[in-house]
Amino acid sequence: MTFSLAGILAVLSYALPPFLPLMLTVLVVLVLVQLLARRRNYRTGSYHCMPAAMVALLAGLSTAWWLPALTHSRLVFVTTVIDWVALIAAALGVALVTWLVLHPLSYLVRGPRQG
Amino acid sequence: MYRLPLKSSRLGRRQLLKLGLGVGVAGLMPLSSLWANTVSTRARIVILGGGAAGMSMANRLTKRLSGASITVVEPRELHHYQPGWTLVASGVWQAEQTLRPNAEFRPAGIDWVKGPAVAIDAEQRRITLADASTLEYDVLVVATGLQLNYHLIEGMSPALIGSHGIGSVYASLDAASRTRDTIDGWLAHGGGQGIFTAPQTAIKCAGAPVKMTFTTLSRIKAAGARDRFKLDYFTAGGGMFSQPWVNDFLMQRFDREAISRHHSQYLSAIDPGAKQAEFTSRDGDTEVRDYDFIHVVPPMSAPDFVKDSDLIAQDGPFKGEWLDTDIHTLQHHRYPEVFGIGDVIGAPINKTAASVKAQAPVVEANIAAFLQDKALPARHNGYTSCPLITDIGKAMLVEFGYDNDMAFLPSFSFIDPKEESWSAWVLKDYLLQPAYYAMLAGRV
Repeated sequence: MTFSLAGILAVLSYALPPFLPLMLTVLVVLVLVQLLARRRNYRTGSYHCMPAAMVALLAGLSTAWWLPALTHSRLVFVTTVIDWVALIAAALGVALVTWLVLHPLSYLVRGPRQG
Repeated sequence: MYRLPLKSSRLGRRQLLKLGLGVGVAGLMPLSSLWANTVSTRARIVILGGGAAGMSMANRLTKRLSGASITVVEPRELHHYQPGWTLVASGVWQAEQTLRPNAEFRPAGIDWVKGPAVAIDAEQRRITLADASTLEYDVLVVATGLQLNYHLIEGMSPALIGSHGIGSVYASLDAASRTRDTIDGWLAHGGGQGIFTAPQTAIKCAGAPVKMTFTTLSRIKAAGARDRFKLDYFTAGGGMFSQPWVNDFLMQRFDREAISRHHSQYLSAIDPGAKQAEFTSRDGDTEVRDYDFIHVVPPMSAPDFVKDSDLIAQDGPFKGEWLDTDIHTLQHHRYPEVFGIGDVIGAPINKTAASVKAQAPVVEANIAAFLQDKALPARHNGYTSCPLITDIGKAMLVEFGYDNDMAFLPSFSFIDPKEESWSAWVLKDYLLQPAYYAMLAGRV
């Protein structure tokens, strides 16, 4: 059984709608915070915030618990290589998005002098 | 023989490229269907059934045939995603998750007859409907699904599901919900005898009896009460699954989980009041067992009006029970203008939605060829798929076909059909239903 690219897109067109509100909300928050911060001279490489990095790391690590639970499963059932690849990719994604929101947010709250 | 007015039109290469790129990028239709020739015809196509197979064929033929008169005979307004019923009965899904209006998938330009068919006159190429009106056809697609024969179990009726410790995931969405409630009640009782059955006929979703056993076991173990529940599995067959490797795996897993296996015995009678079930062996011996919960899987066959028609198999393993089609071309053996798809056909395996996904392009291509008086070009390899749930939270994506001795036919090279995984569970839980709806719409 094979799926063409158009077929895969067709399947996604039915699979994604329930998650679109959440995805759009995260995207809007991420873009909004980044834009606001950059208008105040925020630069990713020149501002340091350890708490944002720590929270992002914890958010990523917590994925191992809540993502299987969200899918009516458990971490103990994550066993195959593809299971771990998928879970680690999801964890990295969660950690990255969390950091991309919290890091500029911290800059907005604390200001550049406290960086 | 009536000759159909036919004309095959071919789009120019440049037009195809433009259409293919534009529409393909938009992800609105499979490129393969754009490349296929559109066939101009005035043929009257009747599709019996608007379930997975019927609706998929209606969408495919609407795109493929220009000028055809396509009629779908389907009384139901709601479409049920039946592969989700085991998840409903296991308490994982809400019932509403499996429902969508049929109208969402109905292609424009077809006639939808919202009444049941009651007879097929294959010689006259005529369908009789419940209101005594008739439909004549040039090509018939039999996609009726199958019939649940609860009445062949003495004392059993679908109305009993949800009472007297009786569950059965097959009867309806409501029955799946009542099965969940019955299992809930049994678990709350704290212990007892559970019996799971598999009948003496081919059944749709042949993995469902095993899945219900495993999901119930999963819930018992989650409650920390394994020692207080005794589980027995009765199957009419000598094995448990048609794919040999999976069959061995299941027998070993059942033994490891202390689920007693009873082979070559089928449920022949039930006494709901006494909570007793009678099993009959191949040599006719009977045995009565007490139960606190029983999951009943009924014998199945083609619907009665198909069985009463000339289209039913006249000999061989499917005699009198299933549609007489070639298992590769899906064309009827004796009536070439008749094609079968889905649960109703006589085939060694294949009563799954995944099989429909593989069969639909074959039937489409072969009907198009038949209308052009050409040799049938497409062959079905018997592909079927069973996301075999082995616990609530993990599954095996078992894909195989009846060609090459039930060899595995994995769709994704990175998912091993012999491994239980979270990924296969996520596919079952989240992605197979969207794939099913895309199939209904003729987009995969």
